[in-house]
Amino acid sequence: MSSDSSSTSGGEFTNPNPSPNSTSKPLEDQFASAALTEPDNEPPEIQESPNGVANGSVGENSHGEIESNEREGAVGSNLEARQSVRWRRTNSEVEVEAPSSPSSSGYAGERGSSSGSGSSGGFDMIGGGIGGGDDEEIQEVSNVDSIQDSQASWMPGKRHVDEAKERGQRGIYYGNIVMIEVGVGNRDGEGFQCSTTISDPVMVVVVLVALVVAVTMVTELVDDASLSWRKRKKHFFILSNSGKPIYSRYGDEHKLAGFSATLQAIISFVENGGDRVKLVRAGNHQVVFLVKGPIYLVCISCTEEPYESLRGQLELIYGQMLLILTKSVNRCFEKNPKFDMTPLLGGTDVVFSSLIHSFSWNPATFLHAYTCLPLAYATRQAAGAILQDVADSGVLFAILMCKHKVISLVGAQKASLHPDDMLLLANFVMSSESFRTSESFSPICLPRYNPMAFLYAYVHYLDVDTYLMLLTTSSDAFYHLKDCRIRIEMVLLRSNVLSEVQRSMLDGGMHVEDLPTDPLPRSGTLSPHLGQPRDSHESLREPFVGIGGPAGLWHFMYRSIFLDQYVSSEFSPPINSPRKQKRLYRAYQNLYASMHDKGIGPHKTQFRRDENYVLLCWVTQDFELYAAFDPLADKAVAIKTCNRVCQWVKDVENEIFLLGASPFSW
Amino acid sequence: MARTTGNKNIQAKLVLLGDMGTGKTSLVLRFVKGQFFDYQESTIGAAFFTQVLSLNEATIKFDIWDTAGQERYHSLAPMYYRGAAAAVVVYDITSMESFERAKKWVQELQRQGNPNLIMFLAANKADLEEKRKVGVEDGEQYAKENGLVFLETSAKTAQNVNELFYEIAKRLAKASPSRQTGMKLHSRSQESGRRLFCCSG
Repeated sequence: MSSDSSSTSGGEFTNPNPSPNSTSKPLEDQFASAALTEPDNEPPEIQESPNGVANGSVGENSHGEIESNEREGAVGSNLEARQSVRWRRTNSEVEVEAPSSPSSSGYAGERGSSSGSGSSGGFDMIGGGIGGGDDEEIQEVSNVDSIQDSQASWMPGKRHVDEAKERGQRGIYYGNIVMIEVGVGNRDGEGFQCSTTISDPVMVVVVLVALVVAVTMVTELVDDASLSWRKRKKHFFILSNSGKPIYSRYGDEHKLAGFSATLQAIISFVENGGDRVKLVRAGNHQVVFLVKGPIYLVCISCTEEPYESLRGQLELIYGQMLLILTKSVNRCFEKNPKFDMTPLLGGTDVVFSSLIHSFSWNPATFLHAYTCLPLAYATRQAAGAILQDVADSGVLFAILMCKHKVISLVGAQKASLHPDDMLLLANFVMSSESFRTSESFSPICLPRYNPMAFLYAYVHYLDVDTYLMLLTTSSDAFYHLKDCRIRIEMVLLRSNVLSEVQRSMLDGGMHVEDLPTDPLPRSGTLSPHLGQPRDSHESLREPFVGIGGPAGLWHFMYRSIFLDQYVSSEFSPPINSPRKQKRLYRAYQNLYASMHDKGIGPHKTQFRRDENYVLLCWVTQDFELYAAFDPLADKAVAIKTCNRVCQWVKDVENEIFLLGASPFSW
Repeated sequence: MARTTGNKNIQAKLVLLGDMGTGKTSLVLRFVKGQFFDYQESTIGAAFFTQVLSLNEATIKFDIWDTAGQERYHSLAPMYYRGAAAAVVVYDITSMESFERAKKWVQELQRQGNPNLIMFLAANKADLEEKRKVGVEDGEQYAKENGLVFLETSAKTAQNVNELFYEIAKRLAKASPSRQTGMKLHSRSQESGRRLFCCSG
């Protein structure tokens, strides 16, 4: 489906949908082809393609759908063997393990174990963990092993296996992917699931033991001192492959040495077997692993975000680290495996915490696109022209931004900037108060441009929110860049770009209330409307009249694939509180992940209804549209509204996108 | 390098070096903007400031490089101190570690081998007397041995901050080619500089 066809909103095809007042729209066609007649309160999700998402229902939250999605996708693959595992755990065990709590173990005390060489040190850790437990835990291990029909020497009874079957616990082992669910005895009904690429069943056992220890540390420990730490919903850790903590979102990473060592043991052990741990599920917790050479990144979360999203977040965190240090930090680990990296990241906590915060509000973190500040075409052109001028004088990238939105950017010939790099760079600059104090010249690395080398960034704030970044490869270029900045600032002031930027910041961008009326019945000027009732369906939803845009449209995001840019409508009632915005953000995130699931996707359209929203997603080769409606919104009308949104975006693309000079993805 | 434009206008590059959290940015902000913040965020890379000081004998325009103290920027320091006319090495009197670090910076600058570089040693946070770990004599002694000018400063109370920069300006004015008479300070610093290189060589 091309954007051209989407723009023909006044098309002449007959709409197969039984909606009144219909005009033919590509999106409608798509839904029609999926045989979607629309009984308005039909509970199940409707989706064009036969994937797991369709099994969601109104009452179910979207995460459940994604998860089932994942499992079905897995089952659908080549399945070579099935194993069932049932682990029982008691509270006493949990307490026995408490001494290895991160907060109760001093750094010095733990240093020994974490500096134990390689995975054998790690193994001791695991062994210690098991030994510390009571007999029952050992039994569990042997139990698992028996299931995996090896090491018959210490085979206990089969009853556990039967029990596991009875309880419907699942463990799937096929090819080099293992998914195992383990019931943790003291948490009723909560599973423990692990998705790895482990080829050796014996290893699975050991890894699982370690995983239980690790997950227990996060979810089960009853140490008062670490209570607040454990209560956090989403942890991020960076550690080295020798188990040295590098970064922790919460708590002092040095006090987490024991915990880091455990994580290291798990990862290294699997790595040494040529395999990879990717995901562990324990109840509502997910543990996501990402290995980048000597750097391990781990996320432990109970936010119900899809695995792909969490993994993407770890990738960004790694990218942020590279932006600060470059990949050459790996050499430090080659020279000294026990290298302590924390001093190198001194003072950057705020950069990481700001990035992690953006995972819950900034769509760029999962869309992999950037967004522009809405500006009149001529204004953006004026800014672009002077930046181009500067770029021609030997600047690699000239980027003018306002908060996280791009005003204009220009790259030297053949240089292309990845949206993720922009995100990380903007985050780095915005989160570091230092840049606001005066003009700065700092080495930075753009991981997608060249992860090995530093560029030099001249950064200067032109006003409170607007900043200019000039990137160069030359460390001597400061005075030149300073001159460039003076020229740019002069031109921007003279052509009123800065005052336009201020005005745009106040006015905001696209408001759903302003969605132009259907051009067909009311041709002529497209006047904005504030929630004016437009369809007969509207009258059914009286409480919502006057809230949101037409047809119950609450919010939308449009991503242009060609431009690597997205535009998001302003939040307006009823999505007006930060909490609601975050919830919508998470819903979009799930939607994105389900649309881009490699196993079962990609999909073209998705229509999803739950108690919070109607979510509609439409992906073509040119764009992706994500829209949120009132949960009672009529489907046909919603689809029609989406077409109007696309048309609207087309109509104003000059103002909301940076066109022409894009150095991206050529 | 200090360079003279016209008769009395001197443009001079000044670099501040020292461990993180010693108060380099605070000193500069106190001098340039008259500001002080109890919580000053870490500098990224290096921040650039300019400030003009008028003396009787000359007008000095400082290009001030306030470098980041973090270890990761250490290897990039030459980029900032290269060609500097003056360097202020800063330590925190409440941290022996920062004093040791300051000595390393001094050594690095000495190795770097600009005999005309005017070096100051600033013992910052002098207002935190009760937490002092580095004695005044220690700093003085080290400065004397290495031909540095020593000052105890406090960006918080502004103690000796303007004095620090004025003193640098005076020496720059004296050292500049259009030198005038009255060379006491200058000759002394030259001597000490020479002694320094004899010793270290």
